[in-house]
Amino acid sequence: MAQPSIRDVFQKSDLILMGVCVVLAAGFLLLTAKNAASAGNFLTIDSLFFTAVCLLLALTFIAVPALTMRARGVHPFAVPEELPPARAAEHVHFEGGTRLFGNVLLGLLGLTVVEVVLAYIKIHDLRIFLTILMGLSLVKAALIVAYFMHLKFERLSLVVTLVPTLVVCICLLFIVFPDSFRTLKQRTNRPTAAATTGEPE
Amino acid sequence: MSTEARVGNLAANDWDGGAFPYRVGHRKLGMWLFIVSDAMTFSAMLIGYSYARAASDQWPTPFPFNPSIIFSTVMTLFLLASSFTMVMAVRASAANRLKAARRWIGATMLGGTVFIVLHSIEWSHLLGEGLRPFGVSAGSTFAKEWAERWPQAPPLFGASFFAITGLHMFHVFTGVIYLGVVALRIGKTRHEDVEISGLYWHFVDLVWMFVFPLIYLMSVDMTK
Repeated sequence: MAQPSIRDVFQKSDLILMGVCVVLAAGFLLLTAKNAASAGNFLTIDSLFFTAVCLLLALTFIAVPALTMRARGVHPFAVPEELPPARAAEHVHFEGGTRLFGNVLLGLLGLTVVEVVLAYIKIHDLRIFLTILMGLSLVKAALIVAYFMHLKFERLSLVVTLVPTLVVCICLLFIVFPDSFRTLKQRTNRPTAAATTGEPE
Repeated sequence: MSTEARVGNLAANDWDGGAFPYRVGHRKLGMWLFIVSDAMTFSAMLIGYSYARAASDQWPTPFPFNPSIIFSTVMTLFLLASSFTMVMAVRASAANRLKAARRWIGATMLGGTVFIVLHSIEWSHLLGEGLRPFGVSAGSTFAKEWAERWPQAPPLFGASFFAITGLHMFHVFTGVIYLGVVALRIGKTRHEDVEISGLYWHFVDLVWMFVFPLIYLMSVDMTK
């Protein structure tokens, strides 16, 4: 049997009251978060007292709508036993399994580790460092778009519409870089490679 | 009727019009277009930053490998892991395993929340050291160190750092809320809705793949 919806069971006045309770509960949660962010030292008697009181008030306010809905047999966020009609009518075609996505994740992690190792060994030439980093990032971006965002399994028409954007972005990057190196040369009047560490010689 | 089912009744040639040339619903196409425009926004910021960074011989490189880079690497790992759990959520949703999909989305939200918390710790640490959006605060730890090492440092380090990572953190924050709504309503959504939220989340991850090397790894302290 299908779940009754909230609007079938409750009158408008009930709904408004429950909405007010939810808003108040959210407000007290926000106060807790604000305190945690701005208290400086969070672990003080004052701060912990404030947090406990705010959480208690939030709990009190959320308890009203939650218990009321439970008492009347409404579970607004329950997963239905049978599929909703909109979902049942969909013909979903999904490629890729745990193994494929796990491998993609491992690839991304591996490339990230390579980047971090490059930062650890410290490549002083900014141009080389930047080029390697951007190259690795492009590979990572391609992996994410192709597999996680599933573009590899979409129609070619969608691919040829979206991918040029990325290409344009990268071309723009390479258009401005020569000028930034020229500016650097003008400023320092010496070869750019030596000046890229940020350290005065 | 699903998009694919409707497509079956339409003209065979994509370019004849009146068809679904991309074989995706209008919501998914809308999310893709949003992602394209958002990619342009981030590109503009990253390109502007990279230009200023490469053109300056006094650009500060204040992040020591230990702990700054290690810390941000851990953040990256959480974001990558959350992308994996998101794709597993989409896969579960495609197989109509709604409870599993909700659990995977919950794991994704957890990864995103950990990322935000770690990021906030890092921000408050840097603010405590004296880093400000346009320069460093007078008399702070950074002010003393920077005056010695980069006396003519452009004031843009803090501006680019806070603007770019802040915009990204805002995307993660809205993404966590978006995923929360999708997870709560999973019994009422269609598969495509879950897939669209996944597209957004993966894009946030993708942007970080450029922010992390450009902002963090390029700022590694070369002397320590």
